[in-house]
Amino acid sequence: MTHPRLVRLLGAALTALALAACSSVGSDGSTSGSGKRSDDVGGTAQGVKQGGTVTVALSAEPDFLDPTLAASLYSRYVFSAMCEKLYDLDKDVRVVPQLAKSMPQVSDDGKTVTIALRDGVKFADGTPFDSEAVKASLDRDLTNPQSARVSELGPIASVEATDPTTVTINLKTPFAPLTAVLADRAGMVMSPKQLKAKGDDFGNDPVCVGPFKFAKRVPQNSIELAKDPNYYDAAKVHLDRIVYRIITDGSIRAANLRSGDAQVADTLGTDDVPELKKDAKLQVLESPSLGYQGVTFNVGNIAGVGKPTKTLNQPYAKDPRIRQAFEYAIDRQALVDNVFNGQFDPACGPVAPQSEFSSDAVQQCRKYDPAQAKKLLKQAGVPVPYKFSMLTSNTPATLQFAQALQAMVKQGGFELKIEPVEFTSLLDQQDRGKFQLLQLGWSGRVDPDGNITNFVGTGGSQNVAGYSNPALDKVLEQARQSQDTEARGALYGQAQALLQRDDPLIYLYRQRNLTGVAKQLSGVQVYSDGILRIAFAGFKS
Amino acid sequence: MGRYLLRRVAQSMVTLVLATMVVFAGVRALPGDPARALAGEENDPARIAAVRAKYGLDDAVWLQYWHYLTNSLTGDFGTSVRTNIPVAEMLKSALPVTIELSLLSLSVAALIGVLTGVLAAVRRGHPAEWLSNAFALLGLSVPNFWLGLMAILYLSVALAIFPASGHVPFFEDPVANLHHMVLPALVLGTGLAAVIMRQTRSSMLDALGTDYIRTARAKGLAERTVIGVHALRNSLIVVVTIVGLQLGALISGAVVTERIFGLPGFGKLTVDSVFQRDYPVIQGVVLVTASAYILINLLVDLLYSLIDPRIRVQGEAA
Repeated sequence: MTHPRLVRLLGAALTALALAACSSVGSDGSTSGSGKRSDDVGGTAQGVKQGGTVTVALSAEPDFLDPTLAASLYSRYVFSAMCEKLYDLDKDVRVVPQLAKSMPQVSDDGKTVTIALRDGVKFADGTPFDSEAVKASLDRDLTNPQSARVSELGPIASVEATDPTTVTINLKTPFAPLTAVLADRAGMVMSPKQLKAKGDDFGNDPVCVGPFKFAKRVPQNSIELAKDPNYYDAAKVHLDRIVYRIITDGSIRAANLRSGDAQVADTLGTDDVPELKKDAKLQVLESPSLGYQGVTFNVGNIAGVGKPTKTLNQPYAKDPRIRQAFEYAIDRQALVDNVFNGQFDPACGPVAPQSEFSSDAVQQCRKYDPAQAKKLLKQAGVPVPYKFSMLTSNTPATLQFAQALQAMVKQGGFELKIEPVEFTSLLDQQDRGKFQLLQLGWSGRVDPDGNITNFVGTGGSQNVAGYSNPALDKVLEQARQSQDTEARGALYGQAQALLQRDDPLIYLYRQRNLTGVAKQLSGVQVYSDGILRIAFAGFKS
Repeated sequence: MGRYLLRRVAQSMVTLVLATMVVFAGVRALPGDPARALAGEENDPARIAAVRAKYGLDDAVWLQYWHYLTNSLTGDFGTSVRTNIPVAEMLKSALPVTIELSLLSLSVAALIGVLTGVLAAVRRGHPAEWLSNAFALLGLSVPNFWLGLMAILYLSVALAIFPASGHVPFFEDPVANLHHMVLPALVLGTGLAAVIMRQTRSSMLDALGTDYIRTARAKGLAERTVIGVHALRNSLIVVVTIVGLQLGALISGAVVTERIFGLPGFGKLTVDSVFQRDYPVIQGVVLVTASAYILINLLVDLLYSLIDPRIRVQGEAA
């Protein structure tokens, strides 16, 4: 961390403390902040010339450049220019065809999904793209022992290459999120020739269908892509090369943007944004994220995630009123305004408001009411202030948030002890259930199922709370199986009501994807999924 | 000389093995493992188990150590758990960056440090000494990362003289390479320059007060010869030792400097792989760094004995 930043962080933290102590802001949760901002997801390339190399300052190093194995978000940034998917998202977060010719045909029983593919498409190595390639990729996603795709692909029984341009997916049970899943890494199609040649090392020299192809990777430093002449829509591609340079420190990413050493930088710090917006050579794209940040109570994770749960012998785990009281003690709007300069949005549930499944019921929220919090604590019969500890990562922004939260919930009768640890240690303690309250978030998926079921469904692989509610499980399963958007939306409204009653996880805020782009560049886009879409950008002529 | 050398080499080997053991046990004592770190926010137990199995993380620790040791001897450092890139390749690409950065910083430090040190000693009580002292105090007390950020802010963003970050391999484009290296080398070299300056100054002051200097002056030698040949040469013994000892500090300083300037060197590789619990990379890095460190100390010892033959004689007698 840097000195000026430290000073700024301390200043902001003190302000947050002071404001929270006065309890005078945003008591109805509807103060400034969200209303003043507007989304800017970027537009298509206008008046650009051919050629040029764009340098992207990337905030973290991607892991494997292998769609089957990749788990890091940042791999998706690189894939977006190099590996097209069966489906994609548009700027309104709706699924649209990409390598598929049209939206999938789902049989009446919901168990057979037929996908028609584009004709005349070639991989970067010149081999033809067809249904056999799709089958090979999906089979690899499902069977490779180290695949990160197995759980997201759901109950697939088999994949068939019906004819060269048709793929049929047979499901064991209906699975509505499948189309959205195929709009992410599971929908990327890998060249069978390269898969055969490289096997598990495919990611060291990946070959897909895309506007750009893999050129070079310098470990810890950079990844370079070059324009792919075999791409089916090559006329739309203007740049010659994209260089992703890994620069983990936010203020240094911002400095590179301002000095012109990079033309694009992702995940800008909320404290760098005002300065960057003043720079006439730059623009800041912003879009609301699909993920969330929140705090999770350990209610039943006694032996580690995935193991049988049992209610912890702690008042907060046994009595939901204490957890509800904690939610009453939080003024979300004041938190995001003070800690993130009002650049993030308050969140009350797992489904983002821009999702087509969102509704008033899905967004229902417990209002800030510290008096009610104290009343509930009294009813629960615990000593006030009620003391417990919160595990959090030790990054400056997270700590600052934790401190502001600590000061805020004091008004509601809570004494929160902050336990900061390094990120991988945090994951380890989280899995083993060695925490009372945990501050962590989720990057978000397009289909709400990917943001809920695994986290609060009984036995979910990411249910670190050890929470189990058969009524909720039933609602979530119905939502998974229904193909009707409206019906699913209503079910997620029910799920939200159940979640609010038990509060195993209190959703707090949604980040916004803040991306800096040089104005000399046109056509860079960042939608709600946070992925940097740069393949069709160009330098202005 | 032969026996002295042999004894020092044997000592070094023991140190090296101990270093690998400490680091091997140390990284495994950290919470979490590479498989969990790799999974990140996506926690799929089956996949984590598969990754553990692939990299032998389920084996007994002594067995893992044995594999590491025997494979390392054949030059096989394994592959990165995070990126699947062979560790040897990562080391090969990172090593030249750090060596270049260290050498450049060392040159910068030696040049500035010795010059200002001699100046401060010879011009004692003059403004030149005050200036040199002020510089040393600043160099010692200003942290690397702050200096780096200020350099980027003023020399890259405001004046656009040097690039803010990045790296071009030397053999690809030597001019661009040096252009990228100037700021990091200056930033990293400043602290060391201050150490060298203070050491040179005090050694020079000691030397200038000795009898042989008085004799040299009495013989009518030119002041330049007295200072350059007689006083400085004797002062350099201590300075060379200090530089050798400071190389460790230089490497740890490189960690910060490389991160600030986005240089893909050893320091950055080490920190990133520790955060990712990327055991094979950490182990490879440590093996090479420890070897280099031990080798440098060995060389300093030998250099020392060349400059001052008394040390060698004592070593042989022992």
